[in-house]
Amino acid sequence: MPRPDDFDRRLRLFVYRQMIRTGACPSIAEMSRSLKASPKSIRTALSRLSEGHAFMQQENGELWRVAPFSAIPTAFPVTLGRRSWFGNCIWDALGIPAMLGKNAHIGASCGCCNLAMPIEIRAGKLHSGPGIIHIAVPACEWYKDVAFT
Amino acid sequence: MLLFRSEQHIDRWCNQWNRPRGGALTLIQGWKLAQLWYGDRLNPQWQPKTAVEAESVFQDVGLVGEFWKLTG
Repeated sequence: MPRPDDFDRRLRLFVYRQMIRTGACPSIAEMSRSLKASPKSIRTALSRLSEGHAFMQQENGELWRVAPFSAIPTAFPVTLGRRSWFGNCIWDALGIPAMLGKNAHIGASCGCCNLAMPIEIRAGKLHSGPGIIHIAVPACEWYKDVAFT
Repeated sequence: MLLFRSEQHIDRWCNQWNRPRGGALTLIQGWKLAQLWYGDRLNPQWQPKTAVEAESVFQDVGLVGEFWKLTG
């Protein structure tokens, strides 16, 4: 029986690798099959991993946030070659090329009027028009309502 | 955390949502923050940042003050 921290580490990396490779978040059933672990042990490990807020679960236990990736479509699409993902917010959208160390296109838009504000990351540098990032919630309250933050 | 085309559009959004003005940063700061926050995420030994470590990242990006405080 692996120690919880070893198992959590394997699970965390499996989820990220699947997300990166397929563009979709694996389900609990897929995690269970691939890691040869019971769905119950997967759910327990996901709960532990969600304590740090990098992973966040839906009410049914499936993941909706695998930071910086969103498991559900958002207004922050990120394209990297032929692959694409969604960020949870502009910080996370920037986090995808930062995490992968790759060039990317971020299909951002103004949070007020929806004007397209595309961003390119090339060779580790950001290329964009003018723009300002706004965070509505103080840092100490970010995880009270992550969806709003 | 949203992107806006100008300060006026942030104010308009805050009015629409009946929210006080929050914290703002440039896109360059946002990119640096993303690199510091997510650059090590695929390291097998990765652990969530402590409040002190997170504040240190904010400081490195120039994000200081009460809005960015996580400790004491």
